[in-house]
Amino acid sequence: MTPHLWGPPSGGPIRLKPDPTQVAAQQPGRTSNDAVFTAAQAGRGETLYQQQCASCHGQALAGAEAAPALAGPAFFGSWNEAPLGDFFERIRISMPQDKPGSLSRQQTADIVAYILSFNKAPAGQTDLPGDTELLKAIKIVPAK
Amino acid sequence: MMSSRPRRLLVSVVILLGAGLVARNGTLAGQSGAQKGEWPTYGGDLASTRYSPLDQINADNFNKLEVAWRLKTDALGPRPEFNFQSTPLMVGGVLFTTAGSRRAVVALDAATGEMLWMHSEHEGARGEAAPRRLSGRGLAYWTDGKEARILYVTPGYRLIALDARTGALVAGFGTNGVVDLRLDDDQDMDLVTADIGLHAAPVISKDVIIIGAAHLVSGAPRSKTNAKGYVRAFDVRTGKRKWIFHTIPGPGEFGNDTWEKDSWAYTGNAGVWAQMSIDEELGLVYLPVELPTGDAYGGHRPGAGLFGESLVAVDIQTGQRKWHYQLVHHGLWDHDIPCAPILVDLNVDGRAIKAVAQPVKQGFVYVFDRVTGAPVWPIEERAVPQGDVPGEWYSPTQPFPTRPPAYDRQFVSLDDLIDFTPELKAEAVKMVSRYKLGPLFTPPVVSKWEGPLATLVLPNFNGGINWPGASVDPETKMLYAYSFTLIWALGVVPSDGTRSDMNYISGLARDPNAPPAGAGGGGGGGGGLTVQGLPLIKPPYGRITAIDLNKGDIIWQVAHGETPDNIKNHPALKGLNIPRTGQPLGRIGTLTTKTLLVAGEPAFTTTANGQRGAMLRAYNKATGTEVGAVYMPAPQTGSPMTYMLNGRQYIVLAVSGGAYSGELLALRLPS
Repeated sequence: MTPHLWGPPSGGPIRLKPDPTQVAAQQPGRTSNDAVFTAAQAGRGETLYQQQCASCHGQALAGAEAAPALAGPAFFGSWNEAPLGDFFERIRISMPQDKPGSLSRQQTADIVAYILSFNKAPAGQTDLPGDTELLKAIKIVPAK
Repeated sequence: MMSSRPRRLLVSVVILLGAGLVARNGTLAGQSGAQKGEWPTYGGDLASTRYSPLDQINADNFNKLEVAWRLKTDALGPRPEFNFQSTPLMVGGVLFTTAGSRRAVVALDAATGEMLWMHSEHEGARGEAAPRRLSGRGLAYWTDGKEARILYVTPGYRLIALDARTGALVAGFGTNGVVDLRLDDDQDMDLVTADIGLHAAPVISKDVIIIGAAHLVSGAPRSKTNAKGYVRAFDVRTGKRKWIFHTIPGPGEFGNDTWEKDSWAYTGNAGVWAQMSIDEELGLVYLPVELPTGDAYGGHRPGAGLFGESLVAVDIQTGQRKWHYQLVHHGLWDHDIPCAPILVDLNVDGRAIKAVAQPVKQGFVYVFDRVTGAPVWPIEERAVPQGDVPGEWYSPTQPFPTRPPAYDRQFVSLDDLIDFTPELKAEAVKMVSRYKLGPLFTPPVVSKWEGPLATLVLPNFNGGINWPGASVDPETKMLYAYSFTLIWALGVVPSDGTRSDMNYISGLARDPNAPPAGAGGGGGGGGGLTVQGLPLIKPPYGRITAIDLNKGDIIWQVAHGETPDNIKNHPALKGLNIPRTGQPLGRIGTLTTKTLLVAGEPAFTTTANGQRGAMLRAYNKATGTEVGAVYMPAPQTGSPMTYMLNGRQYIVLAVSGGAYSGELLALRLPS
């Protein structure tokens, strides 16, 4: 009989966040075309983008030598079918390159919403949450 | 660095054995490929051929390659890196590379990947302010047969010398192993905030190490005034500066008169951020120079502007210029010379020529006699379109090489547009009606919402070809280049003085009727230059071209890179049989071996095994026929190299991208 070394003696592990697999089960196969952000959020994201991101990634998201494109075929070459949460997380921990980690989760989600809207993804009724695990349940795809 | 005594002893022995072999045979890296199954310098050899004569891995067994070992670089810096660009070196059974977001240096057992030592410089605010970050393109190895050193340039622009056996700083080099490159550069600059750094691996010939410079990407520079990107040589033993070459010449120096209105005084950049090549017999180093400050607007730097966008041959010992050739006069297209000039001995129409082949972003390879600088085939100065941006200076002519033919599309005509279906073509034609189309060297326009919004340019600011450059087979004289095709809208907008003190900067006009940024619009985005999400230009989007440098002809050209998923599955293309398109991105280095041309893919696709990833492909180098492909978990971001160790051939490359952080992959055949 193995002793319990940690955790509750019964009832399973304590969860601090919603189980992403449960979220995915509720909304199977969600993509960036499923109205996952609001227009107001994308607007906030646009302001942030121009302030924090445009100097390297370009005013029209076309990229520059040191920074990849965030729109169009070159962007989808890296991110097509990737979980949105991975895209969110990469920005959150490593961008902007000269001040990584300076963006809050909310700001990062707003910028992601703007990038999706620039790529013609549709807006809807709910803001994109600043939660990496929830966002992993959404797949990035080109707009219809 | 924590090695046990026995391991340190082993490392010393293997490195000195390797060094001893080298010392007996003379030069460390000759001009006929990577020698003795090692890879002692960034380009394979000092000629930058990226060629190895190894042939254990061939067309019959390439598909059997398996991962021998792998190194994730996450923990080598304060956060993971997602753009891992290094080419490792292998000498004496030890693999050396820069890696990680702090540009650490690691030494690994090249057979197993076991870390032998690690060195990391913590540069504080200076590192955080660096214009060129992450792990960079690599490092340099030096030996005199007795001791061996690793030398590299940090993000904060300091030259470091380490003992190759232990990773310890070399006390006798500079100050405790460090030369501060922001000093002794013939210009004043702030040690912490100066806009100067480097990604490139240094090159070393005999006892001389040569260092270039890089700056922040400058489509919209903060100022017309910037640090200048001079080139310097240092004594590899002591760190003492041997010479400096002024890529922007001062008064009395040759070329100063190509800068009007004293613009030489304040203009900066014109660094050599690309890899350099060396001919040890001739004693020359070849410098590929970038643009001066301002990638799209040159109104503050009137004149042709030597030595911007020039290939310059300089004496390794003295720094004296032997010859130069300016490839673009007064550039406005961000078409810096991005990669190593490749040295190769040719026989053209019965003439033996010691040549240099310089690939560039804009789709040409310029070929010169590397002794005299004379073009091997005529380069014609031809009249080019003049522009009308206020205050700009335009060169009336630009040089056009007559051979070899361009290997990628240059500029845009209606014939270049997407044409899978008539409907898609019609949409594309409508879209480009808002832009200026024209031949090569059509200048940027002032962007106007009512049109023209910009000049449409091919190749992209990223190329064509970029820093990985090409590879050359020194036996067959074939040059192999990966290039990609992605259209670029090049316009300038007036600067209001807050972002920049220049009159115009790279940018596009905004819709005057759209709500201001942040007012909740958000959906005003252009989505990139796409037609229903498809590239505006017809395929191939990425290609490998094989050029016979003796003839100046293209021998074969293939689309490289599987068709992206969103194109394969696009509803508008249903039922059409579209050949492999290549991928519209990527800075991909090629590796040439005895029989193969090896290159990885730049994009993620759903691969044959159903997993998202990228393929490392091998081609018959004579014909361009694909002979094998192996799965990688992420795209190639560093150029592949190869070596032989204990009777087994390895191919090693850096992969990263998307959400996949940097990893060094070592492949070899099963035992």
